[in-house]
Amino acid sequence: MTADLIVDHEIRLWVFLPIVVITFLVGILRHYISILLTSQKKVELQQLRDSQLILRAKLLRENAKYIPKNTFLMRRCAFNKEEDGYLTQKRPANTQNAMTDPSVMTDMLKGNVTNVLPMLIIGGWINWMFSGFITTKVPFPLTLRFKSMLQRGIELSHLDASWVSSASWYFLNVFGLRSIYALVLGENNAADQSRQMQEQMSGAATNMPQDPRVPFKAEWEALEILEHQWSLTDIEHNFILNNSN
Amino acid sequence: MGAVSDDVDTLRLWRENNERKSREILEKWRETLGKNVDKLGNEVHVILEQVCLAALDCFQIDLAHICISRLYKEFPDSLRVKKLEAMCYETNENYEGALKILNEIIKTDPTNSSARKRKVAVFKAQNKIIEAIKELVEYLKIYMADAEAWQELSELYLNEHDYNKASFCMEELILHNPHNHLLHQRLADVRYTQGGFENMELARAYYCQALKLNPTNLRALYGLQMVTSSLAVSSRSTPQKKKDNAHLAQWACGEIKKLYTEKK
Repeated sequence: MTADLIVDHEIRLWVFLPIVVITFLVGILRHYISILLTSQKKVELQQLRDSQLILRAKLLRENAKYIPKNTFLMRRCAFNKEEDGYLTQKRPANTQNAMTDPSVMTDMLKGNVTNVLPMLIIGGWINWMFSGFITTKVPFPLTLRFKSMLQRGIELSHLDASWVSSASWYFLNVFGLRSIYALVLGENNAADQSRQMQEQMSGAATNMPQDPRVPFKAEWEALEILEHQWSLTDIEHNFILNNSN
Repeated sequence: MGAVSDDVDTLRLWRENNERKSREILEKWRETLGKNVDKLGNEVHVILEQVCLAALDCFQIDLAHICISRLYKEFPDSLRVKKLEAMCYETNENYEGALKILNEIIKTDPTNSSARKRKVAVFKAQNKIIEAIKELVEYLKIYMADAEAWQELSELYLNEHDYNKASFCMEELILHNPHNHLLHQRLADVRYTQGGFENMELARAYYCQALKLNPTNLRALYGLQMVTSSLAVSSRSTPQKKKDNAHLAQWACGEIKKLYTEKK
């Protein structure tokens, strides 16, 4: 029954293709706008120092077995000294709050301008402009569950689930054009909305300038409980054994 | 046109692999690239930078000046171009001028690591090892995880015969990269040079480790042979240790001989 359904080819010309082109062009536009808007992130000297410090402490912790015990203790002392070790030094508390720092605020605003606004506006416009069309059919049968996903905007209970409505076609494009953008704009482009949304979910917390005392404390603890074992203590004997056999 | 894009590809390959190849780069510049600067496309500025460095390496100041002025036209405020200019001064042995520019760069961007490194290089070129060490130590206070800088510092300390500090730097390098046999061998060299019973024992352990990582490290074999034979006659060794050391020395000798016969 449903196989007899024939979609007007005008729909292909005036709905199916325009949606692809519009989403693609909007993506390109977003890419260039975000390039215009992004401000070079200034790295603070102190922040840089902190990250390098943690890196070094981590290396010491992981590879301590390759250096003799006394030199390891010397290094640990430098890191963990009670008064002014690298990891225990007192420093003014980081009062910089995300809400009071204007640069963070503008960054967030820019993110919203390039992310959320176009999503809302274009999505709403497409929904309004091309609502109610069946645009295409996926070439495999689907269960009824997919109806709500693929046939947004069309409430026909008898329609086969593999037909795709115009609004859903738009969303498929939004999420599916990623590789095309990578092809056209190169890697790390800002055109891809789905990736941006992921970043918004997960990246919000990690992008904040962190209080260094928390990772410092963790490293301090890890170094403190580290039991030093020199891996070369018996290497000569192993050598002799291995080679005389 | 084909030749140009081929050369651009080769240059990019060298850039990505960190190959210096200054002479070859200049050859390519003379043959094709120099006449087709306008056709280089997107990469023209990176290529100009690369050619500029190559020209400085080969003491072709004029060419370097041409590159720098072209880059300045495009990026008047660029710190990267400024660094090239400083290097130009360095090549002309105008160290004062170079230092002035480098200090300016650091003032505008305190996180610029390459300018700080260049400063060390300037001091080193003037043979002011003490100043170079001071500068490098300052650098390492910020960039603690920079293995190359630790290596350079250890070399500088070796120049000053400060073996204790040099060995500290080598240990730091081993922490960064514990599977490089050359580092272990190097630390053993330093320890052996330092002398003394404990240091000799450490040297022996590190030579062994280097050999474990790379059994064909000839320098480590020689080092092991020398360390063990002097430990075998040391007055502080117990008889058992003497025996072990003699055994190891013998084994190292055998290995060296074996390597040479294989080479023949």
